[in-house]
Formats: sequence, C-alpha cells, structure tokens
Amino acid sequence: MKEKFDRGTALTIFRNDRLEDIAALALSLVIAFLVYTFV
Amino acid sequence: MIYTKKTPWTLIIGIIMVAFGYLVQAGALDPLIEFLKIGKFVGKPGQPGEMIVLPFVCGLIAIVVGLWQYAVKPKEGNLDYYLSAVGGVMFILLIAFVVKWGLDPLMHAWGKAAETAMKDAKLTWAFDFAKVMNLNYVVMGILAGIIAVNVFKIPQWAENGVRLSRLGLKTGVVLLGVLYSWQELANLAGLSVVLIAVFVLGSVGMVLWMGARRNIPNSMGGVLSAGMGVCGVSAAVASAPVVNAKSTEIAYTIGTILLWGVLMMFIFPIVGKTMEMNPTQFGAWAGTGILNSAQVAGAALAFEPDGIETLKVAEIFNITRVLFLPIIVLWLAVWYVRREANGQRVDLGNAVFSKFPLFVLGFIVMFVLGSTGVFAPGAQLPGKYFDNSEKHLVKKDAEGNIKESKMLADKDAETLKVDADKVTDEKHKAALAGLIENKRATSFEHDADLRGLLNSHALSKKGNKILKKMHDAVYKPAPRISRFRDLIAWFFTFGLVGLGMQITMASIRQAGGQPLVIGSVVGTVKAVGALIVVWLFVKEIV
Repeated sequence: MKEKFDRGTALTIFRNDRLEDIAALALSLVIAFLVYTFV
Repeated sequence: MIYTKKTPWTLIIGIIMVAFGYLVQAGALDPLIEFLKIGKFVGKPGQPGEMIVLPFVCGLIAIVVGLWQYAVKPKEGNLDYYLSAVGGVMFILLIAFVVKWGLDPLMHAWGKAAETAMKDAKLTWAFDFAKVMNLNYVVMGILAGIIAVNVFKIPQWAENGVRLSRLGLKTGVVLLGVLYSWQELANLAGLSVVLIAVFVLGSVGMVLWMGARRNIPNSMGGVLSAGMGVCGVSAAVASAPVVNAKSTEIAYTIGTILLWGVLMMFIFPIVGKTMEMNPTQFGAWAGTGILNSAQVAGAALAFEPDGIETLKVAEIFNITRVLFLPIIVLWLAVWYVRREANGQRVDLGNAVFSKFPLFVLGFIVMFVLGSTGVFAPGAQLPGKYFDNSEKHLVKKDAEGNIKESKMLADKDAETLKVDADKVTDEKHKAALAGLIENKRATSFEHDADLRGLLNSHALSKKGNKILKKMHDAVYKPAPRISRFRDLIAWFFTFGLVGLGMQITMASIRQAGGQPLVIGSVVGTVKAVGALIVVWLFVKEIV
C-alpha cells in the first residue's frame, strides 16, 4: 500500500512519526486554548 | 502527485450532517431520541449538546471543502495533500455518529427487551446480549471499520482521512494528560512501574528464550520480543536497526501484534466485566497485558464507554511501558552483539532517539500544564468536585418556587431512620444522624464517612441506594474537565473507527508461522499472568 502515497505510509499522512507526534501536541494545545477561552 | 479526488461525497456527507443537526435542533427527531434514550446528547435550550454542535461544525467544514474541491482545479502541494484528507475524516465521523447515537443505544434497548422477553418466557438463562457481548459504541465502531475495509473497501477519496486516525488517537492520549492530578499519578506510578517492569522484561526474555529453542533467526526473535514486550508496532520498528531485522520480519511482527491485539481488545472487556473488576484493576490489566497503545485505549473505553476513569489508569500503564523502550533497545543490542559475533554495530543513541514516540512527552507537557490549575483547580480534575451549597442542590424557577431538590427527601429520611439500628460503627452512626438532620452531607469529610457506611453494606439495599444518591448530589461537574472528557472520547472514537479500517485481512495474514506461535504463547502468559497479579494485589480505586 505504501507505494500509493508519495509521502507518509499506509498508517499516517505525515512524512514520519515524529511529525505526527508534533501535530498531535500542536492540536492538543489549540484545543486546550479553546477550552480555556470559551468554557 | 494530485491527491484531491473529484467526488461529490464530501459535499453530500456535509449536507447529511447539517440536515441531521437541523432536524435534531428543530425537535423533528424527538420521538426517536426518546425511544433511544439519548436526550443527554441533545443538550438544553441555550446549551446545545454534541448531537447538534458536532453535525453542524463538521457538516459545514465538509460542505466548504467539498465545494472547494469541486470548484478549484487542485495544484500539487500541501493544500491539495492535507485537504484531500477531509472527505475521509468526515466519512469516519459519519460512521462514528451512526454508531454512537444510533447503534449503541439501539443494541442497549434490544438487549434489555430480549432479556425481558426471555424472562417472560420463564427461561432460566435470560440474558442481555448487548451486555454479555459488550456491544457498546467503541466495540461497534472498530467492527464497523473492519467491515468497511474488508467487505466494502474504503473509497479512494476517503483513504487519506483514514491515515489521519492515528493522529486522533495520539491527540486523545496527549489531551488526557490534562486530567491527571499529582496525587493520582503518585498513586499509580509505583504500581505501574513494578507491574510493567516485571511483565515487559519477562515477555522480552520469554520471546528470546523461545526463539532460541525454536531456531528462529536472532533478528526475528529480537524484533518480535520488543513488539511483544513494549508497545507493539513502534517498539518493533525502533528495535529493528539494533538487531538488523529485515522488512519481512518487521511485517511478521506487526501482523502478530495486530492479530493478537485485536483479539484481546474484544476479549479483555468481556472478562473484566464478568469478573466485576473496578476501573483501576481493569486499567492496570489492559495497560499491562495488551500490546498496542491503540488497542489498550480501545479495550479501556470498551470496558467503560461512559467514563474515562479506566482509560486514565490504562494510559498511565501504557505510557510507563513506552518509557521502557530505551531499556529494551539497549538489552537487545547487547544480546544481539553477543549472539552474532560479526553483528553490525549501530548507533544506539540514534536508534532510541529517532524512534522514541514524542507524543509521550506531549502527554507530560499537558499534564504539567493541567497541574498548574490553569484549566481547573486540583479538586476538580476527577471531573466532579464537592459542592453542598443550596445553589447547587436546589433549583428554583423565576418566582422562587423549588423546581428540583437534591436534598434528602422526607420519605428517604424515614427509610434511613429505620435502617439506623443496623449501624454499629460509632463514626458511621454519627454520619447517618448528621445526614438525616441536615438533609445533605455537611462537609467533604462527612461525605467520606457516608461513603464508608455505604461500602460497609450495613444498611438495606434501599438505604444504600439513598446514600449513593446523596453522595452523587454533593458533587458538581467541572465544566472545563467535562468538555475535555467529551473531546477526548471523540478523538478516541474517531481514531478507533479509523484503526478498524486499517485492520485488513492481508495485514493479519502476515502473522503466520513461528512468530505467531511464539507471540500467542507469550501473549497468553502475559495476559493471564497480569490478570492474576492485578486480581490478587490491586484492590484500591484510585
């Protein structure tokens, strides 16, 4: 399946796992900020 | 490469979602909502619940992106690449909506109806099939994903969205960090380190020993031991360069872990419920006995779909296990070099650093942020906090008439008075008298004494029910923590439906042969061993 994508793998859209981890942290921080501001 | 597919489906899904949100808001689906008993998801006037907010927000995003993909000729680049995932994300979410708000409550209702029908027919073995088979939204979401990929195939336009599901799971784990208090972490840390050390090191040793006896290559044994011992797929990948594993050996290991993990994800919650485990026991068992992070989360949520206490305990064990990765890589390096005299030397530090899952550090960042009290004071972190004020207990209408009261009702006070003679412990006696006199728990300590009385089972069944009601009455949901819990549950639901879509028959067939035999033996020993230890030594509810 890997050859179907020119970046990432069948398991992730990101170039590598590290980038996916950073995206998860960034997304979490954005959500935390929104909860802090609006709830 | 252009990833955007010209499909009307993103737009159609968006329109379906918005229409659904509108119908719920307008009250057109009220009879169905009442039948399924899912009114709590609809919310109150002025405070729309998730069944209104999520379809509107997600639907509008899908409509905008769907129109953009139709109207604009995509150019190769990041915008085309990342926006092409939106259709798949909405496809997964639509399945998640159907499962969580439709199938889950429907199975619940049918299970109860079937049990009643069996009882009416005077069958001695009447049972609720939804309860026995643990058919909640988590289990059904994963099954829906497995069926979607293996029976119908994932449409091309949705493939990129499915590849985002692991991001959902990781975000769920990172966000979970906000909900721990120092006290909880301190309570769990010692237990998790001891249990994980014994079972991780034990299973790595056992795979290496069995591998040597069954004459599998050292590289295969090394990579399988890391996968079976630590945290599944990422551990197998991290240890591969250290033992010079071939890509087929990594594939065999991943296949074995996947097959084993999927089975355990369904079996663990059924066993846990049959044995009436508490959240701490089940979380400790699942976090120790199941191999892959996603499957640990799946089992914990399947065990307790309406709360995240089990998930919190399980994730601490899961993260402790991931933290053992450097130790295992070091062990395997020494083991491999000893066994293969001409084994190629690799840079250990680089192997560990480049593959260490950074989201674990993200979890710690969020925990530190949460523990500063920025989202909620420490007392509110469990999700509810003590509040016995009249404002919380008694709701009045605009004219000052009592609309709803959580204070002790007179008839309940009479039941407790009758039961009072059964209480022998002086502290419990005083607590009960205080409750009857004040009609509520007067302080946090008073409530703790009442809880002690409840746990002693000294009162009648009815009396205990009243005590539980009075305990629940003086706890108020913490708004920000409740919102975090809902969001975390949705991230996990999204991730787990997507995870189901990645469980293809082809990936399971990769297991086969010796790795599967060794993996099954070690996996069973680990699961049963962890169950025995947890059952015997873990009693506390954290």
